[in-house]
Amino acid sequence: MSLKSYSRQRAIHVMLVYTGGCNGCDIEIVNAVLSPKIDIEQYKVFLTWNPREADVLVVTGPVTYHNKEPLLKIYNDIPDPKLVIAAGSCALMGGVYKNIYGDIPSEEIEGPVENIIPVDAKVPGCAVRPQDILAGLISVLPNLLNSD
Amino acid sequence: MIEEKIPNPNGELIETEISMGTVHPAALEPYRVRFFVEDEIIQEAEITIGVNHRGVERIMEGLPVEKANALTEKICGICSNSHTWNSVLTAEKGLNIDIPERANYIRVIMGELERLHSHLLYLAHGCEVLGHETFSMRIFYIRETVMDLLHMIGGNRVQYGVSIIGGVRPRCELNEMRIQKVESGLDELEKNIVNFSERFTSDPIVNSRIEGVGYLPPKQARKLAVTGPSLRACGFNYDLRTEMPQYDDFDFNIISLDTCDVKANLLMRVLESFESIKIIRQAIKNLPKGPIADRNWEMFDCDFIKSYIEVPRGICYHSFALEDGRVRGSVIRTPSMANIAAMQYAAIGNHITDGQLCIVQCDPCFTCTDRAFEIIEL
Ligand code: SF4
Repeated sequence: MSLKSYSRQRAIHVMLVYTGGCNGCDIEIVNAVLSPKIDIEQYKVFLTWNPREADVLVVTGPVTYHNKEPLLKIYNDIPDPKLVIAAGSCALMGGVYKNIYGDIPSEEIEGPVENIIPVDAKVPGCAVRPQDILAGLISVLPNLLNSD
Repeated sequence: MIEEKIPNPNGELIETEISMGTVHPAALEPYRVRFFVEDEIIQEAEITIGVNHRGVERIMEGLPVEKANALTEKICGICSNSHTWNSVLTAEKGLNIDIPERANYIRVIMGELERLHSHLLYLAHGCEVLGHETFSMRIFYIRETVMDLLHMIGGNRVQYGVSIIGGVRPRCELNEMRIQKVESGLDELEKNIVNFSERFTSDPIVNSRIEGVGYLPPKQARKLAVTGPSLRACGFNYDLRTEMPQYDDFDFNIISLDTCDVKANLLMRVLESFESIKIIRQAIKNLPKGPIADRNWEMFDCDFIKSYIEVPRGICYHSFALEDGRVRGSVIRTPSMANIAAMQYAAIGNHITDGQLCIVQCDPCFTCTDRAFEIIEL
């Protein structure tokens, strides 16, 4: 294991990007990382808001038209190696905003996230459970740590 | 006392602009705010939303009414139950359905639990923006009790709407075991909130940061049609719950404070939590027996129906017409729409470091508010 991976292992930084869901997933994820009950920080996973510092990008929401550009920009700003986790049914397939059709179809939704950036792990749920976020993150971490 | 803050009276150009967004650490949701600053004092603030527009009303157009009710839950992840409740009330009003007493009680219990969770989230967010991580963590911890109760009754931690047309979902029946759990949960919650508020109000550092900051003059609050706790923190004693027939059986006080600043807003949430606990206790004590849903109703066409209810952030408005059991011309207005103007005004005259705090004081929820769109003439 390289020195880089060795130190990265001890400080995984997660960045949360919100692309127009209902807020439910975001609260649960922030809750998962920060709140004393689940507290991912004890496993040395931290929340950051700076893309240049992040290792893992967690995306929630169906990616609305106006959010596509910022999402791409943030994705490109994250240094390699990077992981992307799509969390919540909105991010996986557009959720209720894409799949339910009344008489007038909704055109704002650009998602799912897969259409825009490559996704490594998918965490289902509406809203996602904090435990699932943790499980999803753990399942793809080897990709990040063994990449160099 | 300041009667009104008038931004930038001379129409001069303010050169320094500090903008945040649309993705910014202090605000979970994407929105853009521009502060115009002179000598580190905010002279003018401008909030732009519209990044989140998903067009829920448009997707609702032509959906069967039951489906549309379920969809309204996804408008907002914080007051999801309130939207379902109001949408179902709208349909019930149009179809003249009387719901069983027990169903109404369960809806009120859920509504108040939701108010608790929303107010606690507000406090946690407020403390985080204040820079006081310990308080924020403590509240997140206290809030878990409410989340567990919501999970137990509604079956999900976030999208737990209980209402269906004619009553509540069968899964949300309150049996003896659940009632006991709610009771013990409330006891624990009350104890924790009392401890927290004692600690919070006696902390000199926190007090020095929140007293007199984000002052919103009452006259202006009235003019901007601010609703909910933000209005009550400006000294107006107005709560729509007093006029809602659903709350007729319950006895509670309306809290109002008149210092109009961030401190009043934070305390408001704490004090209202106690009132909510009081309402839930009454509802559980007097829970009527009987069915929880009335399924004998008929669908017919009706013209536009309007319904207003008090949700954690203020007054929420739903309206639609029914045609062949389908929703037509749905209009939804959420309380944050009115409160955005209040956030902009509250920020004026404060130090730039308190700018974010002034915005957070009005309990912003831009996700649910993002529903207006401009119609351009072709
Ligand atoms: S998946 Fe569900 S809870 Fe999450 S953002 Fe979408 S609608 Fe909200």
